[in-house]
Amino acid sequence: DAIRHMSNSTVIDEEVLNAMLKEICTALLESDVNIKLVQKLRTNIRSLIDFDEMASGLNKRRIIEKAVFNELCNLVDPNVKPWTPTKGKQNVIMFVGLQGSGKTTTCTKLAYHYQRKGWKACLVCADTFRAGAFDQLKQNATKARIPFYGSYTEADPVVIAADGVEKFKKEHFEIIIVDTSGRHKQEDSLFEEMLQVSNAVEPDNIIFVMDASIGQACEAQARAFSDKVDVGSVIVTKLDGHAKGGGALSAVAATKSPIVYIGTGEHIDDLEPFQTRPFISKLLGRGDIKGLLDK
Amino acid sequence: FFSSLMKLGSSTITTESLQPVMEQMKNHLIEKNVAADIAEKLCDSVAESLKGKSKGTFSTLSAVVRESLQAALTKILSPSRRLDILRDIKKAQSEKRPYSMVFCGVNGVGKSTNLAKICFWLLSNNVRVLIAACDTFRAGAVEQLRTHCRKLVAIHGELPDGRDRVKLYERGYGKNDAEIAQTAIKFARDEGYDVVLIDTAGRMQDNEPLMRSLAKLMEVNKPDLVLFVGEALVGNEAVDQVSNFNKSLQNYGGKDPRTIDGIVLTKFDTIDDKVGASISLTYTTGQPIVFVGTGQNYSDLKTLNAQSVVQMLLK
Ligand SMILES: Nc1nc2c(ncn2[C@@H]2O[C@H](COP(=O)(O)OP(=O)(O)OP(=O)(O)O)[C@@H](O)[C@H]2O)c(=O)[nH]1
Ligand SMILES: Nc1nc2c(ncn2[C@@H]2O[C@H](COP(=O)(O)OP(=O)(O)OP(=O)(O)O)[C@@H](O)[C@H]2O)c(=O)[nH]1
Ligand SMILES: [Mg+2]
Ligand SMILES: [Mg+2]
Repeated sequence: DAIRHMSNSTVIDEEVLNAMLKEICTALLESDVNIKLVQKLRTNIRSLIDFDEMASGLNKRRIIEKAVFNELCNLVDPNVKPWTPTKGKQNVIMFVGLQGSGKTTTCTKLAYHYQRKGWKACLVCADTFRAGAFDQLKQNATKARIPFYGSYTEADPVVIAADGVEKFKKEHFEIIIVDTSGRHKQEDSLFEEMLQVSNAVEPDNIIFVMDASIGQACEAQARAFSDKVDVGSVIVTKLDGHAKGGGALSAVAATKSPIVYIGTGEHIDDLEPFQTRPFISKLLGRGDIKGLLDK
Repeated sequence: FFSSLMKLGSSTITTESLQPVMEQMKNHLIEKNVAADIAEKLCDSVAESLKGKSKGTFSTLSAVVRESLQAALTKILSPSRRLDILRDIKKAQSEKRPYSMVFCGVNGVGKSTNLAKICFWLLSNNVRVLIAACDTFRAGAVEQLRTHCRKLVAIHGELPDGRDRVKLYERGYGKNDAEIAQTAIKFARDEGYDVVLIDTAGRMQDNEPLMRSLAKLMEVNKPDLVLFVGEALVGNEAVDQVSNFNKSLQNYGGKDPRTIDGIVLTKFDTIDDKVGASISLTYTTGQPIVFVGTGQNYSDLKTLNAQSVVQMLLK
């Protein structure tokens, strides 16, 4: 791979840098990073590297390695502090995202995560559209012993969301998670419904859930979600598979929100805090780059 | 972008003259969500085919490349073999056995929903359908199909003789999926259903135990049609998904393994003109895209229009 290749070559010059950048960019494109981001990264790195000003030998290599890695780390860091819930308060968290991205599964994972840490957590099913949506949330919640709210008869998700949140607020739940239907930017009515649910429950945080395998369509979808409602966090799901999740860079850029957790399986405890460095290493097609950087 | 490459020059095409055109073309395809290494392979083969040819005085290099690429893309999307499901169902009917279809793919791509849409289409063609709920893992999977079944009954009603047109065959959760499929097919044979639609749990292509169990289901039941369901949203993973599903079915599927016969490309309504996944999936498998999912209603099921997809890719 690109960076190791670099370390082995003795002469660092424009040609080697170009070859190295080409390899890195290929790895990023194969990891589903948005092509415009990749092109921008290439330009940024080129402008960062000034051969004349550099000392000789190993130092140059390390400067280039660091520049690439740091530039990528910057891309997943929107420079805002992640939202965190306040103990003793009624924190409302709303989940949004494309169809099948993993919202309902991740809702339960997150509620379970807080519950285990001693918070009073619950779930509201505001998806009245997808067949079996309420059963799915209900079965997940029951298994994890998490209180839930939903309806088989009420067709309006705005009504359910408002009622459920009100009920749980009265009961002094601290983490109230609202699951919503999958939707996409091409269908206005679905986006309008998302806005209405958001207005009805006034969430403290909106989490955009994205599938790690999404390709170049990610950017426009994430941007549209963020333009419609106040997205504050991103969760990347299905990172237990082969997918690298390069779309997350676009999601961060478009929503200006940090990635807070990653989904690593279908089970309830398959949720991990997001860590920048291993994520970036994987994007570059390496197991772990840390050893290289700590030298 | 092609118009930016207008340059009239000498008439023999060289590798050097092609290089910048090909680089731009590759990036263009990637932007349309074609998997990066497939975009590269495609451009390489187009370049190879043009090298040394003469391009004629009145055409530009970019026009020649475009034409060649258009032909290559059209070829990839045009199946050498046509699937005629309704005809194959009739054939199975004449053999007095139900025609069985398995839906497989990674998590959340739209297997169950598009199974329901295909059921709707079959019912409209007067075919009697049994839906086998073989996702016994994911919460709500059985109820999801039950809901679809109820809605489809409400739309299509019963046969004149009072028998149902569509029915759900389910055995709850945590059970052996291969066995449920097997008893469902037997039930369909006994009760005179024409088709069995077998829903399976979503699974990651590199999860060996789950891939083995899918191969087992195929081995036990030898379905007439194996459909791989992939979403149009998927990027580079398209290649790994479909090739590893096929590989696993091949490797773990016993003596005479059943592999993927066709592709269902879902969520086509969510990608604007980024239609490249259709190329990644068909290039990798050589199998046809049998259905395209274009929404969340029963009627949102189309066949692929290769011409318009190629147009969108080149735009
Ligand atoms: N392997 C794996 N599967 C996951 C993960 N997260 C979710 N899934 C699976 O992805 C599929 C879709 O998940 P859901 O939670 O139903 O997705 P959703 O976003 O609620 O879907 P809609 O409500 O239809 O929009 C299910 O099969 C989940 O089990 C993950 O981190 N890893
Ligand atoms: N916009 C759009 N949404 C679709 C399409 N097909 C399916 N969906 C949605 O995608 C989500 C997931 O669909 P499912 O049918 O549950 O997917 P699945 O592959 O069975 O999921 P698992 O069984 O959990 O692996 C649902 O919200 C569907 O409504 C489509 O063609 N267009
Ligand atoms: Mg859901
Ligand atoms: Mg399903």
